Amino acid sequence: MSDIKIGVVSCSGEECFGGTISRLATRKVLEDLRLGEAVTICLPLFIAGGEEERNFAKVYPTVAVDGCSKLCAMRATEKYSGKVNAVVKVDEIIGKEKALEKVVSLRELPSDYMELVDKVAQEICKEMDKISSDILKKQAEEELKNSGECSGGCCCCGCK
Amino acid sequence: MDKKTAILPCNGLDKCAGCVSREIAIKLQEEKNAEIICPVLFRVADARYNKVASENELIVIDGCNTRCATKLASEKNLKVSRKINVTEASKQYGIEIQSKLQIGENEKKLIDMILEDILKKDDSNGENSSILFPKVLDYEIYKKDKFIFRLPKEGFYFNENDVWVYVQGNLARIGVTDYVQQSLSDIMFFTPPIVGSEVEQFDEVGAIESGKAVFEVISPVSGKVIRVNEALLSNPEYINENPFEKGWIAEIELKDFESDKMLLLEFDEYFEKMKRKVDEFHV
Repeated sequence: MSDIKIGVVSCSGEECFGGTISRLATRKVLEDLRLGEAVTICLPLFIAGGEEERNFAKVYPTVAVDGCSKLCAMRATEKYSGKVNAVVKVDEIIGKEKALEKVVSLRELPSDYMELVDKVAQEICKEMDKISSDILKKQAEEELKNSGECSGGCCCCGCK
Repeated sequence: MDKKTAILPCNGLDKCAGCVSREIAIKLQEEKNAEIICPVLFRVADARYNKVASENELIVIDGCNTRCATKLASEKNLKVSRKINVTEASKQYGIEIQSKLQIGENEKKLIDMILEDILKKDDSNGENSSILFPKVLDYEIYKKDKFIFRLPKEGFYFNENDVWVYVQGNLARIGVTDYVQQSLSDIMFFTPPIVGSEVEQFDEVGAIESGKAVFEVISPVSGKVIRVNEALLSNPEYINENPFEKGWIAEIELKDFESDKMLLLEFDEYFEKMKRKVDEFHV
């Protein structure tokens, strides 16, 4: 587990089933797949002016998880805290038609929901891993640069 | 548009209370054919919900005490017919909810209890929904020569016009304080406010008259008058007997008590103020 924290800003989804899947997938990432690495940002509070949420999203990298093409999570994050590092578009993963179905209770989820949640959760993890790996790579390059060592490969420049 | 129900839930994802609020909203959608307002979309593109939110009975469900949903309704100038706060309800019902986001057994129980409460109130069609007023009140008494006044110690707010309000959920009962009835002496007439009328905080909401003067009752809260104490029409002396209990004036469905509260006094402040007033004017 890396010690890089990544904010996951999930659609709160009352407009469509894609929102429900966004919530569940985000929860799976937070509580199971990337425990300790992902930090959720409460989108309604974020938009309402939650300073802690906004500051976190300004300082840390973020992944927006959007249930439909309205992309509320991405747009709000970019409006208040800066560019998101990645967007997971649920409707592109589970299909537009499915994503736009009506919202359902967590007690009465359709039988295939777990499969859909897993797909989206995997996609969130993939984006998080990519962000972590980019950050680690950048940190390594910085360290090498600061120590005066060459970044690797065969070199004839005379560096140590 | 037919009057139906719109629900504005907190919908938060970082606390279990947010998940509970969403579940309540979805259940209400099924039971009452209500329309859920997505708080996020409502903020970023309010045209989608403006009509739904303003033309229907609006239930606001807050998850935690940050009260994002209430604040949103207030910013959009919406009239709220009922407010639910999941965190407060969990305390009220004695059901502890977890910090994780799952809806477990306790959360299911809480959802069912809140829903039952909402639907029960609906069955009564507003006609019989009434606040549960305490059967026994604990009073603080102040005496200055002949002048005696008492004030309930807990649960009441007061305005500068000597009118009290007791709030429970989205309902409030109002009346005049002991200071008023003492100052007016024998009350002979009671003019009630009109049931169904909308009042703003500090609007007149009825009047009482004694041989000495007419006292306009200044509303400590804004909202809709849903009931008046009809017993006062034939027995205005109830106000003299006990203005906090059988002498209450009216019940109001609150519009925005959080805002109203800022201009109200609690027991300590009002009691001190009244003591000074009695000391200065009733010597």
